[in-house]
Amino acid sequence: MNPLARIMFAVLAFSAAAPVARSGNVDLSTVPERKSVQLTIYNSEDLTLVRETRVVTFKKGANPLQFSWANTLIDPSSVELKFLTAADQLDVLDTTFPHDKPQMLYWNVESELDGEATIQITYFTSGITWSADYVGIASADESTMDAEGFVRVTNNSGEEYDDAQIRLVVGTINLVEKIAQLAQIPMSAVAEMKSEELSTLRRSAAMDAMGSVSGRGGQSGPAPADGKEIIKEGLSEYFIYTVEGTETIPNGWSKRMRSFEAEDVPLKIEYRYRPKEYGDQLVRMYLMTNDKPSNLGTTPLPDGAIRVFRDNGRDGLSFLTQQTIKYIPIGDKIELNLGPDPEVIFELVKLRSFRDAIWMQINGTNKYQQVGEDAQRTEVNSSVAGWDDHSVFAQRIRNYTSQPIGVEMRRTYDGHVVFRSPLEPKLHDYQTVEFRAGVPPGERTELLFEVVQHHGYNAKQNNVTLEAAEVVRD
Amino acid sequence: MKKIPLFPCFSRRAAMLAAALSVLACLPDSALGRVKLITLPVRERVEIQLDNPRATLVEEERFVPLVKGENQVDFSWASTQIDPNTIVFRVVATADEAAPDVKVLSVSYPPNESALVWTVGASDSGSARVRISYLLGNLTKSFNYRAVAANDEQSLDLSQYMRLQNLANEEFANSGVWAGFGPQFLKPIGMNETKEMLIERYKNVPIQKTYTCNPVEFDFLDRAQNKLRVPMHYVLKNDAEHNLGAAPLPYGKVRIFIQGAGDDPQAGTAFLGEDWGQFTPKDDEMRLYLGVAQDIVVKRTIEKNERKRITGNLHEHDVIVKYEIENFKKQPVTLDVVESLRHIRNEARGDSGRDVEWQLGKETTFEGGPDSERSTSEQVVFHAQLPAAGPEGKAEVIVHKLHVLLKNEW
Repeated sequence: MNPLARIMFAVLAFSAAAPVARSGNVDLSTVPERKSVQLTIYNSEDLTLVRETRVVTFKKGANPLQFSWANTLIDPSSVELKFLTAADQLDVLDTTFPHDKPQMLYWNVESELDGEATIQITYFTSGITWSADYVGIASADESTMDAEGFVRVTNNSGEEYDDAQIRLVVGTINLVEKIAQLAQIPMSAVAEMKSEELSTLRRSAAMDAMGSVSGRGGQSGPAPADGKEIIKEGLSEYFIYTVEGTETIPNGWSKRMRSFEAEDVPLKIEYRYRPKEYGDQLVRMYLMTNDKPSNLGTTPLPDGAIRVFRDNGRDGLSFLTQQTIKYIPIGDKIELNLGPDPEVIFELVKLRSFRDAIWMQINGTNKYQQVGEDAQRTEVNSSVAGWDDHSVFAQRIRNYTSQPIGVEMRRTYDGHVVFRSPLEPKLHDYQTVEFRAGVPPGERTELLFEVVQHHGYNAKQNNVTLEAAEVVRD
Repeated sequence: MKKIPLFPCFSRRAAMLAAALSVLACLPDSALGRVKLITLPVRERVEIQLDNPRATLVEEERFVPLVKGENQVDFSWASTQIDPNTIVFRVVATADEAAPDVKVLSVSYPPNESALVWTVGASDSGSARVRISYLLGNLTKSFNYRAVAANDEQSLDLSQYMRLQNLANEEFANSGVWAGFGPQFLKPIGMNETKEMLIERYKNVPIQKTYTCNPVEFDFLDRAQNKLRVPMHYVLKNDAEHNLGAAPLPYGKVRIFIQGAGDDPQAGTAFLGEDWGQFTPKDDEMRLYLGVAQDIVVKRTIEKNERKRITGNLHEHDVIVKYEIENFKKQPVTLDVVESLRHIRNEARGDSGRDVEWQLGKETTFEGGPDSERSTSEQVVFHAQLPAAGPEGKAEVIVHKLHVLLKNEW
């Protein structure tokens, strides 16, 4: 904790022309406490909207208020004062950023009120972040998974926000400057920027959107043994998590809370060969769906790390994988790559290669002749201009597991290619063939296919065509 | 009476060796305080799971005394490579009906410290059986083998060991250790200790001793005289028929010995050398290199290389590779002759970059033709039977030919 970091709000106890009085060496001030504080934390940007309320006693006439934020990461251009009560009797006459104290400002409030009013100060700070992470434990037979989602809030802002209501924003917003940069420079320099544009953009991005969602929760006693609920709601293109009650996260600390819990999420296992996505290997996948029938679907899953274990059936866990998932909307698929399985062997063997449809170009002419077409005449003065390469492959899969497996394979070919097989393939894209096979437990299978590549003069396209045909080994 | 140690915060972690668990008998706010009352639940059980090839998972079980309401459970570690992001805290269901319902409410991570604090809610006061698991670095495994071949080299006894190296800066009293296959061990593992455990002893594994020539893989022994290097291997097939096949054989060093011929084969056991055994799935072969055979001489020459024009710049090549083989051993031997067709094409006409289209020619002499299991479009494998050398050590010169037509080259 940085003992010097402190957001200070003070009512200065002097009367008339504040700037004159401030230049003296003796000051007297009262410090109204924070009554409540709400943090709205974005995970796509290093940005947190702080909304705090304080009760201030005003006297009639000029009331100088001082707000300072030494050693914190507050964007000075974003600080705003609003009167929540007696708004018609209170006015900010001017706001001053003193040149010699970079992390401070004065509000000069003109009051018609002699008494208490609640004020709200809002500003952006950086240094408070949140992230999501997940833990999944598959059952011993790998038919279901118990999943938990967490959010972890980290406070490196330099300030301690006690008993803060915490709201987390899932989604991406647009910022034109990093708050952390703005926090480092004095207001005089910020003012020289296109401050108008800056604040307008930021507000439209964050404050307007979030202002319309009322805070939930409020003060609460000790948490029940069930733990706090994290309330999820959609808003425009965003999703907001509100942590029930309030939390205190000291500076430098982080805190991880459960955002959801799902039991017996149905799990499907598939083996995939997709070299572009998973490298040149057959990998084992866990497939799930983020929806209600799967006991999930209460929230989109924000970007985050997932750690996957399996009940090893001997009263313990096996660690399977750790990977990062990208934002998964409600209803979308969850795909976890567990890496290669030593019990499933995947081999590609090239059985045969041959060429045909060889076309010769008579040198110096535009005349072409196919080899074999005119066998009796050997044209010496000619060169190969087009041909077809044939390759016959055997894709061998051995399944040593105790379960039948489903294997999906994708193979990508450049150029003009005909893919000939009885495998009922389909085109994943114009140059990628996708086909599937099932292998019973303890058995092996061999899938034959032939790839015909048209070259030179024979290449008329740049794509793959599928052709259903039996393929022979030799 | 239960002893509850009173620790000042700063000395508490120093007092522990490495990973420590404590329960703070105080309110949440005092997590920041200097003086605490804590209980230190001991490890009841530790399991070390080595089944993941890249990570070691440690699971430890402790009985944690909890009071009704909120509890702070502090877990800290020093000088160990615990990955804090992988720590999972689970409450294990017990048959004890008096056990409280327990739930982790949140986890707090203090700055600049290898520690975390769980806030745990309990429905009642009582002890909960919890299991804490985490990935631990520097606790690694490797495999090695000891192979003792029978004197006739027809079979061997294969012992498979797992070696656990504990540089994790943490000691584990009797801990369950599991490699992902084979038996489960219960062993104490001390700090900086290396422990070798016998996983399995496979008796009487039939082996094949092979002699192979392959100019691409094993090169020439004497290029000027066209003599090929002829390495020897023991080949083990990982299947039930060969008394193996229970699990894939992991990568590891194999020390190879051979029994003596006398009455006491143990006494005459000699070290033959060592090799890295590659990862061998079930039904695949593990090949163990034994060195170069000095008694088998293979001279390889290209006897014929003829280019025939088909039309224009399109040609085919008629190539014959000749092998003159002598076996100076007293036993008949099978020699595996392996050739890469791309290599032959490149020797005959230079590399065109294209796949090789080829046909075996009529003058090929190897009996039985190519080995269909091991031959592909890129490589052919033949077996040549070599008779034993004569009584005076005189070897018969066996001549074999590989006749290949390389088609449609330009």
